[in-house]
Amino acid sequence: MKLKRDQVSEEIPTSSMADIAFLLIIYFMVTTTFAATRGLDFSLPQDDESQPLVEKEESVLIEIHPGGRLVVDGSNLELDEILDYLKPKLERNPMKPVIIRPLENAEYGYMVDVFDEMRQAPKKIGMEIRNVSIPTQREIDMFWY
Amino acid sequence: MRLQSRDVQRSGIPTASMADIAFLLIIFFMVTISFEVDKTQVALPTTQIRLEIPKEAAYISVTETGQIRVSSGEEISVPVLGPEDVLSFAAGVVASHPGRPFVLKADKSVPYRYVDRVIDALKQSKAEVIYLLSQQETVAEAGGGSQP
Repeated sequence: MKLKRDQVSEEIPTSSMADIAFLLIIYFMVTTTFAATRGLDFSLPQDDESQPLVEKEESVLIEIHPGGRLVVDGSNLELDEILDYLKPKLERNPMKPVIIRPLENAEYGYMVDVFDEMRQAPKKIGMEIRNVSIPTQREIDMFWY
Repeated sequence: MRLQSRDVQRSGIPTASMADIAFLLIIFFMVTISFEVDKTQVALPTTQIRLEIPKEAAYISVTETGQIRVSSGEEISVPVLGPEDVLSFAAGVVASHPGRPFVLKADKSVPYRYVDRVIDALKQSKAEVIYLLSQQETVAEAGGGSQP
């Protein structure tokens, strides 16, 4: 008598592959977060106490008050007026130092607004502001007075 | 005479290429996924100038209430007590990875004195570059700057 063997399929079963793949897709879609990976860069000067000091009178001082009020060299200015104020000064002296000084209770976002405006100078007034500094309170206490 | 039977139209949806499409999507997600070292929820300031931040950067986050978390860029961020801890953390990062940039991820409403102390700590630790993390300025905000 001839025995009948079980027939073994030669194909790889792929019917559940799509299910597995879509499960993986759902996992990645749920766990993916769109991280903010861009920002404004600024280079820090190396902390050197013997560095030459810039006289306050020679520089442009931008004070940022709470609520976003901007005082530039003693006068109230709007954010979009600062570059027009700086342009003639920079034409006379391209290395004119610009000091951004947020008061301690001013909101950080306004400092970023001002710094962003400074960085847009090449686009808005056609010249770069090369010498922007944001001194910390410790540096102000040490060097300014 | 018996008529020849018509072609039978199958009613099933062809799913043979579904796995291919699914795997393409998986590859896309695997390539683009990035693991955040700092998941602190802050309202970022908006800027027009936005440069790509290097992937190996160290992170310092400051929340609206002034709470600070730090990460060297290789592990999940941990809270620190104050600026003195930021100084020791930053000095350690600069010593082990000279030239590594720092990312300041601060809430736009935080009083500047908190940020000032962090920046001062970074200056004292000889950090070279800080990136101020920001988000894209929308059309509505572009008119008059962001409002914290």
